[in-house]
Amino acid sequence: MSEWIAIGALALVAVGIPLGMMAVSAILRPSVPEQGKRATYESGEVPTGTARVQFNIQYYMVALLFLVFDIETVLIFPWAVIYRPALDQGVALSTVLLPMLAFVGVLVVGLVWAWRNGAIKWVKSPLANRQKTERNA
Amino acid sequence: MLPLQSEVLLPERIAGILGLSGTVGQIVGGLIGAFLIANILLIQTAVAGPWAKRKITAAFTDRIAVNRVGPFGLLVIVADAVRLLSKELVIPEGVDRPAYDLGPLLVPFSALLGFAVIPMGNGIHLADPETGAVFAFAASSIASLGLVMMGYASNNKYSLLGGLRAIASNIAYEIPLIVTAVSVIIFTGSLQMSEIVAQQTDPLLSVAGVTIPQWFAFVNPFAFVLFVIANLAEVGRNPFDVPEAPTEIVAGYQTEYSSVYFVLIYLGEFIHIFLGGALAATLFLGGPAGPVLPGFVWFLIKIWGFYLFTQWARSAIPRLRIDQFLDIGWKGMLVLSFANLVLTAVIVGVIA
Repeated sequence: MSEWIAIGALALVAVGIPLGMMAVSAILRPSVPEQGKRATYESGEVPTGTARVQFNIQYYMVALLFLVFDIETVLIFPWAVIYRPALDQGVALSTVLLPMLAFVGVLVVGLVWAWRNGAIKWVKSPLANRQKTERNA
Repeated sequence: MLPLQSEVLLPERIAGILGLSGTVGQIVGGLIGAFLIANILLIQTAVAGPWAKRKITAAFTDRIAVNRVGPFGLLVIVADAVRLLSKELVIPEGVDRPAYDLGPLLVPFSALLGFAVIPMGNGIHLADPETGAVFAFAASSIASLGLVMMGYASNNKYSLLGGLRAIASNIAYEIPLIVTAVSVIIFTGSLQMSEIVAQQTDPLLSVAGVTIPQWFAFVNPFAFVLFVIANLAEVGRNPFDVPEAPTEIVAGYQTEYSSVYFVLIYLGEFIHIFLGGALAATLFLGGPAGPVLPGFVWFLIKIWGFYLFTQWARSAIPRLRIDQFLDIGWKGMLVLSFANLVLTAVIVGVIA
């Protein structure tokens, strides 16, 4: 239990130090409000439209794929911890290894499906595809 | 010679020195210990950020960097700290206020939190829970949340793209990173950091009277290489610095940040590099172990070695394009890391 008290203490310190730096900065820094200073940066142009633009669907596909594999890694951890102790206690190799091989195998099949399906292939907009040069084609 | 690891953790030792016991001792010892560890890291970051980074880059590009203030220009650290903290904080129009302010706090928070379970040698080890390795990875992953908050809240198109890229890169390379770490866990059979370090002190083989310890980088060099590459992507350094990509999207998620927020983001990034180095050292390089010098010095040498490596890569390798970057992550690293895991499991199973 004392470990988690120490970790909690570090969490407090890790919030406290940035807050302290912000306080020091608040004392030191000037404030000079000016017309146009607070405009967002858009390469020197006046910002157009909203900042919440449409973005590539790929980020969403990759995030979905990540969910699957993240849960997989979480489930692999307990297996990895007991793997060697179980072998040392004389459990047969096939009993410990094969279920996990099947589990990983199912996910690898999923990855292959996503790969062939184009889910992890970077999508280009029709415009970008039309602008392809000979070299890229 | 000092023992590599002591049975007593840092908070308990501090409580013992102060003569406190029970819950009060744990809390006071924990707070002082946490403060010490955070300051060790702040000192490393202060040297690494304003000074070492410039010196290393200058050496690679055949220039002389900061050399005006103090010996070797070291006092530029103080000058830069004051300069950056005393800059005006410009908050752009239309930012999403709580998220805009919380993002820069989360990045150093997550990186510092990860160090709670890292054994630094000579008993400088804050906490040693049974789930240490998982905790370190979990804590370092909180940073992604901060990055996407900054990207979304900044009310800037470049920031939004940078935040999305940061998330895409972190999630693409996190799985290879953790799966490679799992291949070490198969050897140790424990997630406790002190146990992982202790197992690596066993001799691997003796050559002419010199005993080579069983560091997992020697046992499984392939996993070590994978881990270091995935780590490089996690900390967002070249060739994997697509989230920032100054020539494409200005500075990514940190475009709209100035003054102390900028400092906090940079602080977080550098502590993250050191956390990556510390994880690589603990899992693959025997933690604080090493000949002659005390453990803490070896620990510092190892994390600085990783830092030098990131800066070397930054100077030497061009940036990948975002599509190549994701291809390497999902089609290359992921497949290789699972191959490594299955092969390790099979080999351990056959030998054991």
